[in-house]
Amino acid sequence: MDKILRNKKAICIFIAPSLIMFVLVLIIPMVQMFYYSLCDYAALTPPNFIGLDNYKKLFFNDSTFRIALKNSIFFMIFSGVTQQIFGLLLAVLLTNIPRGRNVFKNIFYLPCVLSSAALGLLWAFMFNPKIGINNLLAKMGIEGPLWLMESTGFIVLPMWVIAFVALWQYLGQNMMLYMAQITGISRDIYEAASIDGASKVKAFRYITLPLIKPMVVTSLSLNCIGSLKFFDLVYNMTQGGPSHRTEVLATQLYAEGFNYFKYGYASAISVILLVMCLIVTLLVKKVIKVETYEG
Amino acid sequence: MSKKKMLSVVLSAAIAAGAMAVSVPVYADDVEEITWMFWDDLEATEDLISQGYKEVVDRFNKEYEGKYHVTPITTNLEEYDGKLNALIAAGQTPDVYICNPGPNMDVYVEAGAAADLTDILENQETEWYESFTDGIFERLTYDGKIMAVPTNYAAACTYYNTEIFEEVGVEVPTTYDELLEVCQKIKDAGYDPISCSGGTAWCLSMIAGYLCDRQGVDLNAIADHSANWTDEVCIEAGKKLQELAQYFQPTAAGDSNDQAVANFYNGEAAMLVQGSWVIAQINGNKPEFEEKCGVFQFPGIEGANDPNRMIVKTDNLLMSSKTEHQDACIAFMKMFTDETAQKYTAEVGGKFPVVKDLEIDYDAAPAQLKYVDDIMATATGTFGFYNESLDSVEAGDCFDNAMVDLFLGNQTPEEAFQTVQTFYEDNVWE
Repeated sequence: MDKILRNKKAICIFIAPSLIMFVLVLIIPMVQMFYYSLCDYAALTPPNFIGLDNYKKLFFNDSTFRIALKNSIFFMIFSGVTQQIFGLLLAVLLTNIPRGRNVFKNIFYLPCVLSSAALGLLWAFMFNPKIGINNLLAKMGIEGPLWLMESTGFIVLPMWVIAFVALWQYLGQNMMLYMAQITGISRDIYEAASIDGASKVKAFRYITLPLIKPMVVTSLSLNCIGSLKFFDLVYNMTQGGPSHRTEVLATQLYAEGFNYFKYGYASAISVILLVMCLIVTLLVKKVIKVETYEG
Repeated sequence: MSKKKMLSVVLSAAIAAGAMAVSVPVYADDVEEITWMFWDDLEATEDLISQGYKEVVDRFNKEYEGKYHVTPITTNLEEYDGKLNALIAAGQTPDVYICNPGPNMDVYVEAGAAADLTDILENQETEWYESFTDGIFERLTYDGKIMAVPTNYAAACTYYNTEIFEEVGVEVPTTYDELLEVCQKIKDAGYDPISCSGGTAWCLSMIAGYLCDRQGVDLNAIADHSANWTDEVCIEAGKKLQELAQYFQPTAAGDSNDQAVANFYNGEAAMLVQGSWVIAQINGNKPEFEEKCGVFQFPGIEGANDPNRMIVKTDNLLMSSKTEHQDACIAFMKMFTDETAQKYTAEVGGKFPVVKDLEIDYDAAPAQLKYVDDIMATATGTFGFYNESLDSVEAGDCFDNAMVDLFLGNQTPEEAFQTVQTFYEDNVWE
């Protein structure tokens, strides 16, 4: 085996298939996307190079983009904070309960495996003014708000609603990641700490937290990138409405490309989204220092 | 053989059988297979017009068995344009597809995704061409080229619940001021005067379109920038929309189009402003409502524009310019406009046929169709739905969203129309 791995030809042959696929399905489309972002391109006619005009329009002359950018950042921060904290708390709780761990694990993870489109429609029904939650509230004499149509405030109510639904849906995923990491920590360390008189809280603070840091970086990065690219729940619950108030970058990108045939403009939004994802990933890695512990 | 091996063989066989069962049906080599894209689920729909379209598909596949076969590609209305656009952009344009008139069709025509039907209609299928109602191809003609074939047309009217009107003791309003008085009396009697959907923006936009036209907004003048969206007529129309909106059902802001229509045929609201396609929806969902459903034209504004202008639109079929099965497509399109389909359109669906010399049995047809027909007989002119009559799909959406903002109270009429004005300055008049 070692002999093969020292053979450069063999290395090239082994790498080639995945490298070719990587270039074909990722690198070339990304380069194409960047080029189209500099063009007036309607997909049905050849692209016309216009330099940075799409970007200028996005940043200085497109109020929908500003709303979408604000909502995407809000969604990323909300999801990043809540999903990490509650996911970790659940993971710690479940790894410490003697019975019923698998039952609760499956219950919390279940929304993750369901289709977002179906869940979006389900929650849209729940928040519909005539049926669902408002119907229940009405029976108690309370007039419920227009959950998916309220349009006042810096972050509108429908955006909070979508963020909570996303938290409900993806909480289980973060919980699973943390559970996998926590169960991997040797029980000996906890026993030693316990003999030394450390309380459960202190064991969590000084043993669990430092040892799950690599997973925090992974989970938070995935969380932030996923939130920035978030599309399905927004599309199925509000389609960016009312009047673009719940637009996020991915839904605006979709509308510009597929509804208005502005593929060049949509590509510019994609490039911005890509850059944002890269910046966030780098920031997470930079901010959270991961120490290596000898096993 | 071990149990595990046995199990894996059985599972593999099951997977293979499953794959074969769901595979695309293969037709004989000499059968020309075409696709047709449509904006409703033909299997699940309760809409009578869509059910009529399904009958056409079935009839076509039966009549041309062994020669042609059509496979419908269906999607829901909200996602239709996006999905069709994606297919066209990917070079997979369906052989035949349905389309609204206006900016969407403009895009397909300008991009060469639609076939020029002029020669086929004028020279090859003369009889078919001559069977159409005069002037029906006007909005479907680009630089003298006919690019689409209509299947029916609808007019936007005000539908009302005659029982509620009788109970409250009000008459059909003919002016905007009378409409407000009627609304107030109906509201005092405990009913929702008007059912409207703010959740589906084009529903609200239809009322806004009527108010703009009645007030005197001239879209042609706006298109060539001899008028502005910030002109007094637009602002006045906006104020009237705000005024009228206080008579919408309390949940109007979040209700979908279907909910607003159901609100009307369930007897909770007294009036509904809708296209005549709603006849099929109402009668399909609640047949007993037909006898108490009256129709009147949207009231005029005293001292303003002609009150007899009607919003109308056609459903249209376009043929892909890239299709390799032109004869099959034409045969399929013809079937939508033959006597059987057109009689169904009127007598069951409640929409207007697009062919002349067709005897409609009004006793068999939905009662509302005759009322709409009577209104159309006195119409002095027609115009398109506003969101389909502006300069681009995006401009139409901008107008719709501005009207939603106005309705929700996020913007004043001045601010709402300034939004549309700014869009035109940046994108249309530049």
